Amino acid sequence: MRPRRWIPLRAALVVLAALLLQVSLAADLRVAGAIGDLVLVVVVAAALTGGADRGATYGFAAGLLYDLVVDTPFGLTPLTYALVGYGVGLAGAAIQRTSGWWPLAVAGLAGAAHATLYTSLGNLVGVAYPFDDLPAIALVVAAGAALAIVPAMRALWWVHGHDEPDRLEVMFR
Amino acid sequence: MAISPPTGSRTRVAVLVLASVTLVVVGLRDVGIVRDLREGAAEVVAPVERALGTVTSPFRNAWHGITDYEDVKRENDRLRAELAESEAAGIGRSDAEQQFADLSAALDLPFAGDLPTVTARVVSGPRSNFSHAVEIDKGTDDGVAVGMPAAAGGGLVGRVTQATAGTARIDLITDPEFRVGVRLAEGGALGTARGQGRGEPLAVDTSINPRTEVADGTGVVTSGVDRSAYPPGIPVGTVAEVREGSGGLALELVVTPLVEADQLSYVTVLQWQPE
Repeated sequence: MRPRRWIPLRAALVVLAALLLQVSLAADLRVAGAIGDLVLVVVVAAALTGGADRGATYGFAAGLLYDLVVDTPFGLTPLTYALVGYGVGLAGAAIQRTSGWWPLAVAGLAGAAHATLYTSLGNLVGVAYPFDDLPAIALVVAAGAALAIVPAMRALWWVHGHDEPDRLEVMFR
Repeated sequence: MAISPPTGSRTRVAVLVLASVTLVVVGLRDVGIVRDLREGAAEVVAPVERALGTVTSPFRNAWHGITDYEDVKRENDRLRAELAESEAAGIGRSDAEQQFADLSAALDLPFAGDLPTVTARVVSGPRSNFSHAVEIDKGTDDGVAVGMPAAAGGGLVGRVTQATAGTARIDLITDPEFRVGVRLAEGGALGTARGQGRGEPLAVDTSINPRTEVADGTGVVTSGVDRSAYPPGIPVGTVAEVREGSGGLALELVVTPLVEADQLSYVTVLQWQPE
């Protein structure tokens, strides 16, 4: 088990690394005009490895940091990330034994759900994000999340240790 | 399996959601603390992003080599054709520009073509799927300030919304929140252009009578009317489609921007600020 005092530092390192990779690398790799979302992947990984509470907390904190470096309405990313993190935590707890590859599927669904939630809430607060762009964004974010979820879960175990069941082992068993 | 989170968990997520909603409300009012925090973050992130950008550039270049090859070829052909057309139209345009500059001087309006400029390199494109801003490598130390318009290839691309010592952020005309007062080059009718998202044309709300003829290809420039956020005469785009606005009382124009705002390498910041 990890000494608890290092957990916030390790967590901050993982979130910051994801954010910096997002703005310096992932943001430039467009497919059909859309990009993947590495910060969301960390939130989903936190929810899958630590449950709804951890997912919501990571979502709020990571979203807050992300909103500092973009021009979108401030507060919208922590709101959507926290909701998705919470939802993924609940879903993960409910379905973890149904399929060996569930984290990839859950991460993909979470990516699509986040894109939909963000577009809808953005329109609700008065920013006319076009719904026409949504299919491409949802697809690319979902694919990116499914691809990156396993290393992200590894990173989250590095942060919090393996005091919970090793779901990655379950997955590849 | 039934999903029933503990009560404490529900309380925590409720607090986080409430905090986020509060931030959205505060952020929408453009309060100073949010601006300051974002400027501080830009100062911190810029050097790290530049360093990481250098390290990751071989990978990004390889990616663009694979995904953009056909687009670049098509773009090259289109630019060759446009260059030939531009050379033919050059004489007429310079005469029109002179007339416009004379008229602006007579009306005591600044002419965009006479404004001092700062050329800057785009160091980062939109950082998320919902962002419509780019970062440039010039800031307040170079004379860039919030509110200045930015152009590229002769057309308006956006406006500076954040500036630190060495970097600045430009909100692009494709941003759904972007608004600019415009004037038709023929007829002089006024309107307001708004962004409609990445790769989409601009929509221009006008007060033009629906029976009025507006030809496709008509030029659209910034209007620069009193207290405008832009000087007059910056080319914005050309009319691609004319349709009735909601209610049928006026025309709505679909305008193709002169510049593809998503593919910028360099921009020119016009050192002009609204009064």
